[in-house]
Amino acid sequence: MIRWSASHLQNFNRQIPNTQPPITPMKSFSKSGSLALVAILCLAAGCKKGQKNYTPLPGYSGTPGASSGLGKGQPILPPARPLSPDGAGSGGTDAVNRVDNPDGPGGQPSREEIEGMIANREQFKANTVYFDYDKSVVKADDTANLQAVAAYLKSHSDNKVAIEGHCDERGTEEYNRALGERRALSARDGLISLGIGPDRVVTRSFGEDKPAELGHDEAAWSKNRRGEFILLTPPPAGGVR
Amino acid sequence: MSRSRITSLLAILGLCLAASAAEVVVSDVTSRAIPIHLEGFSGEARGVLEFDLYVAGFDLVGAPQAQYSLGGKPGGSLAAMLSDVNNQAALFNRSYPGGSVRAQAHALADDVVQAITGRKGISRTKLVFKVQKERVSEVYASDFDGANPVQLTTDANIVAAPAWRPGRKSIVYTSYRAGNADIYSQDLSTGERKVLVRFSGSNISPAPSPDGSRLAMILSKAGSPDLWVGDAEGGNPRRLTTTAADESSPCWSPDGTTLCVVSRESGFPQLYTIPVAGGSMRRLPTAGVRNTTEPDWSPDGKWIAFTRSRGDSFDICVVPAGGGDAKVITEGEDPSWAPNSRTLVIARRTGKFGSRRLSLLDWPTGHVKDVAQVAGSSSQPSWSR
Repeated sequence: MIRWSASHLQNFNRQIPNTQPPITPMKSFSKSGSLALVAILCLAAGCKKGQKNYTPLPGYSGTPGASSGLGKGQPILPPARPLSPDGAGSGGTDAVNRVDNPDGPGGQPSREEIEGMIANREQFKANTVYFDYDKSVVKADDTANLQAVAAYLKSHSDNKVAIEGHCDERGTEEYNRALGERRALSARDGLISLGIGPDRVVTRSFGEDKPAELGHDEAAWSKNRRGEFILLTPPPAGGVR
Repeated sequence: MSRSRITSLLAILGLCLAASAAEVVVSDVTSRAIPIHLEGFSGEARGVLEFDLYVAGFDLVGAPQAQYSLGGKPGGSLAAMLSDVNNQAALFNRSYPGGSVRAQAHALADDVVQAITGRKGISRTKLVFKVQKERVSEVYASDFDGANPVQLTTDANIVAAPAWRPGRKSIVYTSYRAGNADIYSQDLSTGERKVLVRFSGSNISPAPSPDGSRLAMILSKAGSPDLWVGDAEGGNPRRLTTTAADESSPCWSPDGTTLCVVSRESGFPQLYTIPVAGGSMRRLPTAGVRNTTEPDWSPDGKWIAFTRSRGDSFDICVVPAGGGDAKVITEGEDPSWAPNSRTLVIARRTGKFGSRRLSLLDWPTGHVKDVAQVAGSSSQPSWSR
């Protein structure tokens, strides 16, 4: 377990001004009556002479009886900081991780390829496919949509497509994220079976995070269980990203 | 045999069954709340003590009903005496110099828990979680009671599944800031972050191993959302499941040898365990409930908490780590264990659907209390360990 000790946190301790006057620890027990009571209770509880009866908190540097050392403030988490320029490249294993999928048949296009392309969300807007509750099979009704996307890609051989899978809000979050990916992959399999190269279709999942409709009923949910096709075209000649 | 004898035998048998059933419920897990009386505290200190002790399994009662009494002493720093009312014995008499009132009260609450139950307190642990506002979500961290929230990302994009890296001031999470679900780490001391895993397809549900040496995650790069395990930074990922169905939400056994993961291989989500070294996936029996997701393995290794979905409602359940009868505890989603293997942080929806908020659940007593909330919908909590 992490203990958020002062030494751990000294780099980002926010100094909270202490608004309380410094108080001598155990001051309230200084009356003789209280002392007697404490002594009796200590005997009852089996206290040893000299047992520690104070718990200094992070930031406390005094000793009981001293009045200094108070008011260093409670250690808290660091404030949000500017992120490093772009995280990318700072990880020692990035190079390994960025090697593209060698594992499955029909690997997806590489991230570098995809990220250099222009996304067009309008081209296939009418071809969005919809899924049954908790299912990832592309329905027969949607075959025509897959065919339309496949036909366009066949006639534009330098284009690619991203498929974004989505879910309604009736699942748990990470389950939905995996289900949305499974839906996108099902649509991708459909395109591949229609003759589109695997290296032209990339998948993403947003789970329940990007609903098309905000309602909480079947009318909205049925619109949210979907796979959207986003056309990816090469950057204009001249290579401006 | 006369009818009355049969009836009485059945009655005895019934009583025996009832007794053994009651035993099962009482043993080990369920326990009565401990009645304690607070006296001499006010304002923030009182609020903190009441919250901390309630979620630690105490009932705050009047003096006549109390088994223990916690008396505050007037003065600047918090000072208090804990006594056992029945034995007329003082358990401790202590002051808390330094820090804020909140910190003093948390330290006192931990001492009370330790003195009475022998358990280590959790009042000075932390949470990380996701907060969604409109269509944007960010990672936040806070004290275990929701106080002192700090926004850790400012991407105005989508984040998911933040998780602590055990024993380190560092977290991992999924972010879509590059247009794809990728796994990042973020050092909480410096704010520096790294992109750890960014294959084409989904890179989601990162789960650091208890010793921090490995990272379990769900990757779709091989054509299906499968369970993979990489090194601490996600490198050299090795595929553990090869189903055509989707896997999600891996978590580790505390000894680091086994993963529990959700698979939809049978057509609906169920919990499975799989050896980290490789091997076959084994279904984890959760008798009494189905559609099970979001497992989290207790730090003591004994239990797995998870979410049961029923289409329009979600419940927190707990099952022995080896499988068995699942106990439905309360409404909620995505449980994460505290270091004490007893308290859970959960997300609960406001209304049937709609925004979520975070609450703490003391499983043995059933005590539930909302933490201080950040504006927006808070979900996917992870407890620091």
